[in-house]
Amino acid sequence: MTPPRSIDVADLPPFAVSSEAPLWWGQLFLTFVEATMFAILIAMYFYIRLSMDVWPPPGIQMPPEVLPAIALVLLIASCYGSYRASEAAKRDDRWGMIEGLALNLGLAIPAVVLRAFSWHDWNFKWTSTAYGSVTWGILFLHTLDLGADLAFTLVLLIIVALVRSGPRQRLGVHVDSIVWYFLVAIWIPLYVTVYWGPHLVGAPQ
Amino acid sequence: MTAATTPSIDLDRERASLERAWANGRGLLAWLSVTTHQAIGMRYIVTAFLFLLAGGVEALLMRLQLARPDNTLLTADKYNQIFTVHGSTMMFLFAVPMMEGMGVYLVPLMLGTRNVAFPRLNAFGYWMYVIGGLFLYWGLFTNTGPDVGWFAYTPLSGPQFSPGKRVDVWAQMITFTEISAMCVAAELAATILKMRAPGMSLNRIPLFCWGMLVQSFMVLFAMPAVMVASNIFLLTDRTIGTHFSNPAEGGDPLLYQHVFWFFGHPEVYIIFIPALGMVSAIVDTNTRRAIFGYPAMVLSLVATAFIGFGLWVHHMFATGLPQIGEAYFTAASMMIAIASGVQIFCWLATMWTGRIRWTAAMHFVAGFVFIFVLGGLTGVMLAAIPLDLQVHDTFFVVAHFHYVLIGGALFPLFGGFHHWFGKFTGRLIDERLGKLTFWVLFIGFNLTFFPMHILGLRGMTRRIYTYPSEMQWGGANALATAGALVILLGGILFLVNVFTSRRNGEMAGPNPWDSGTLEWATASPPQNFNFLLLPAVTGRYPLWTSFKERIAVTGLRNDRREVLVTTLMDAEPHHRYVLPRSSIWPFVTAVLITIGLIGSVFQFQWYYPGIALATIGFLGWFWPRAQEAEP
Amino acid sequence: MSAWGTPYQSAVNAAGPQSGRIETLFWVFTILLAIIFVIVIVVLLLTLTRRHRGIQQEPLEQTHIPSGATEHRLTRTVAAATIVTVVVLLGLLVASVGTGKAISGLGTARNGLAVEVIGNQWWWYVRYLNDDASRIVTTANEIHIPVGRPVMIRGTSHDVIHSFWVPNLNGKIDFIPSRVNAQWIEADYPGRFRGQCAEFCGIQHAHMALWVVAEPPDRFEAWMNHQLEPAAAPSDADSQQGQQVFLNHACIFCHTIAGTAALGSAGPDLTHFASRSTIAAGTLPNTKGNLAGWIADPQNIKPGNHMATVALDSADVQPLIDYLESLK
Repeated sequence: MTPPRSIDVADLPPFAVSSEAPLWWGQLFLTFVEATMFAILIAMYFYIRLSMDVWPPPGIQMPPEVLPAIALVLLIASCYGSYRASEAAKRDDRWGMIEGLALNLGLAIPAVVLRAFSWHDWNFKWTSTAYGSVTWGILFLHTLDLGADLAFTLVLLIIVALVRSGPRQRLGVHVDSIVWYFLVAIWIPLYVTVYWGPHLVGAPQ
Repeated sequence: MTAATTPSIDLDRERASLERAWANGRGLLAWLSVTTHQAIGMRYIVTAFLFLLAGGVEALLMRLQLARPDNTLLTADKYNQIFTVHGSTMMFLFAVPMMEGMGVYLVPLMLGTRNVAFPRLNAFGYWMYVIGGLFLYWGLFTNTGPDVGWFAYTPLSGPQFSPGKRVDVWAQMITFTEISAMCVAAELAATILKMRAPGMSLNRIPLFCWGMLVQSFMVLFAMPAVMVASNIFLLTDRTIGTHFSNPAEGGDPLLYQHVFWFFGHPEVYIIFIPALGMVSAIVDTNTRRAIFGYPAMVLSLVATAFIGFGLWVHHMFATGLPQIGEAYFTAASMMIAIASGVQIFCWLATMWTGRIRWTAAMHFVAGFVFIFVLGGLTGVMLAAIPLDLQVHDTFFVVAHFHYVLIGGALFPLFGGFHHWFGKFTGRLIDERLGKLTFWVLFIGFNLTFFPMHILGLRGMTRRIYTYPSEMQWGGANALATAGALVILLGGILFLVNVFTSRRNGEMAGPNPWDSGTLEWATASPPQNFNFLLLPAVTGRYPLWTSFKERIAVTGLRNDRREVLVTTLMDAEPHHRYVLPRSSIWPFVTAVLITIGLIGSVFQFQWYYPGIALATIGFLGWFWPRAQEAEP
Repeated sequence: MSAWGTPYQSAVNAAGPQSGRIETLFWVFTILLAIIFVIVIVVLLLTLTRRHRGIQQEPLEQTHIPSGATEHRLTRTVAAATIVTVVVLLGLLVASVGTGKAISGLGTARNGLAVEVIGNQWWWYVRYLNDDASRIVTTANEIHIPVGRPVMIRGTSHDVIHSFWVPNLNGKIDFIPSRVNAQWIEADYPGRFRGQCAEFCGIQHAHMALWVVAEPPDRFEAWMNHQLEPAAAPSDADSQQGQQVFLNHACIFCHTIAGTAALGSAGPDLTHFASRSTIAAGTLPNTKGNLAGWIADPQNIKPGNHMATVALDSADVQPLIDYLESLK
């Protein structure tokens, strides 16, 4: 027996490209997971600092900050590309999405390349003291996340450009943007910890 | 949106169409591709129950070994593997997945929708869990089982003192189960927040759903810590030479403990909070009244979650940390009892003014109150640092955590089994046998674990494979072992009840208990689409409103898997949402990721092909398909 | 209560001021919380068996919600119960912190004694600290203390985390590699108190016990002075042969016997081995028979422990045992 009164939802759209979509929330929750992980790593950095008298430990040479600083700026700038793509996704603007994603990748990929080059300047590995372990832990994990999202964004760009730009793809572009904002935003405290840590809480020999 | 008079609907055509759209198919490939929440929820429940039995066998072996002094049933090495696998099984392979399974099954029904928000993620999470569990047991059966305790403290678990693969197996099992838990947490939270029946504002959702929501958030913030501890800390120390716990190079074994217990303490609330939700569901149904103090109950759940993150150092009182910091943790550890206390008071108030129906499920609720309160009170004792320093790492603490976990989680869970068995299977579980099961488990449990309080006070430390007869612990240990055999009997009674009731039990019908919540508004067991027409609600107990005041949702398409997404606070209808049908990709992706994860236990380089394989899996999963093209 | 453990490894048979205060706190908590538990269970039973006399019983079948008056009364009751809970917990918090402070206050060095204890897999290294280097005593697995004097136990570990626990005297303290943790113990009366490692430390964690022997001050001084002497020289041909057996085998790589060429430190100091009451960290009573079994096959007694099985000619065994048991 059907209830005597009802609400008809046939006129509602069958998708939403906005923060009302469950996928947006699901992705947000996964960023909570990553954020917690990185917060713990930052806490570990400072905890390990407390058990050492000289920071950074003897023999460690802090690399020049030029490349990482440029990479940081490029990453922040790349968020604009992500933002443009996300707004285009909301308006169902296929070319707008392609432009935004291309801008995003065009700035993000060089940032990652610069980061890879800057690693050559570190004169220690994760096997030299706990300082090395936590510093490389932070670098590896953030880069892994960044690389994964770059790959995802690239695939998304290919799909939107060459295969289809339907509601699911548009939602994907919109949700991808919050992942990107998160990865860049979390990099800022990580950057401060890794590159400015020795200045902020260091102790010379 | 306001309700209008319902147009006439051809329900038979509606049903036939929904059945086609939501069919799971037959055959092995179809079975591996299932994405409906009832099937996946039931898989979680059955698998977790099997792990409960495995953990129980391990417990029995331990109890048989300890029944007499200087016993030789198990060697030291075997015993150490068994107690480690027992703890790891119960915590990672039984308790959390079981609660999640109950959530996955019941939450969409209670919210009035057709599936969870991410059906393929749901399937993927299950496969990761099963594979992780099997991997741990492969380890145990090949003498590669971890033997360092379920929390694997360094440096004992580090490369120097635990060479070989045993601890690596443990650490990677954690990776599998934590990925699984995080998938379920993200999807349940998204489902509860965004896919509720119209009108089901946040202050109208069932308390069980509040429990699952709070638990999901706890998982999101706690599980990363154990990932860091087991993978970044322990696994890298063991395989690629990092120094997180090596004091000679600036590391610290205590850092591991901090990171682990930052997860470990919330973990027990992750297990416990869904059980509290089950208690509410059983109590309101069987007292025929709304739970007293709904806002206080919700606040207690939330407070428990928040405070639960601030207690972890109470596992480390003996490590020599500064006293002033430790006093804060004593205060917090005691204060959390207030939140649990409020819940108990509210249930007692509900029962005091309700009309109690004495089902088997209510027996388990009464048992829960007895056992959990006793365990909670010994917890207050443990919060006091001077007392903790005496009984920490003794059988007193073993007694405490079994009282709170078995009392606080297992008894409500068994109550839930008896309460929802009719809904899950279509036939009611036998009430008399259920009540007998309760008494046997209750007596057996207390016989097993109460003596352990005294053993701990009398010096018996934990994790010892034997003890000398001069210590005179033999009598109490023998009593505890006898109790364990009684628990075994209770388990057997339960299994007998399950199997005979499935075949011969009385037909349940949609709502045998005259309950008020939406899971009882449909057939038992529910069809894959749950409800012919989704409901809209006007109160906390939709089935306790008279029929003429009920509202349905019309206009969703029935030729595809379509559900309704509603707004966060007030559950106003917002848009329709098309869910995927069956898909093999969650299973394939899980297998591909497994190759990398297990390979890297033996050779670290397997991580790289592992990442490549995972990528292939995700590509297959997300690649656009023609059937999704139309709006 | 003989089936429930002995009184010499027991937290509820306090023999010193620290453990005494803890035991008092324990009884305060236990009695108060037991009363609370009984109250909760009585309320539960009443709830389950009452027949609703007095409370307005609305037709719950229709509304499922009692009257406002009922809910109001319940609110007051639950609020009152909550307030009582908070007050009780605050009281217990004060008692706990107070006890902790009182115990810390006991740890002043008035006439105190300092003993360094180091956890190893699976035995306890013991060294009595002294500013005068000639008065440092090294032993293992058995700690003698003078009655009525505070003793500071300073501990660390050479390998994994262990935990030092002598329940009759105080709570436990973890011994963590690269850290030093300390606690004070004190015996109010003479006695023998057993302790056990309380942090899982590997395969033979179950067999890592120790004895604390509290003696009147003069007896303690005598013991101390005796321990300071080098090992007893072998007094007869049998023991002399035994000493030769010891010095010619791998024993010297791990064990020290002061006054001889044996200077190993991987295992317990054996200088006054025969003055100790147990072998293998409290695993067996120290008798000739047990010692013979231990040396012949340590892996049989304590599988997985780090002592090598040293092959001996059968003719060498008895002299070796006799020699070791002469090291009083």
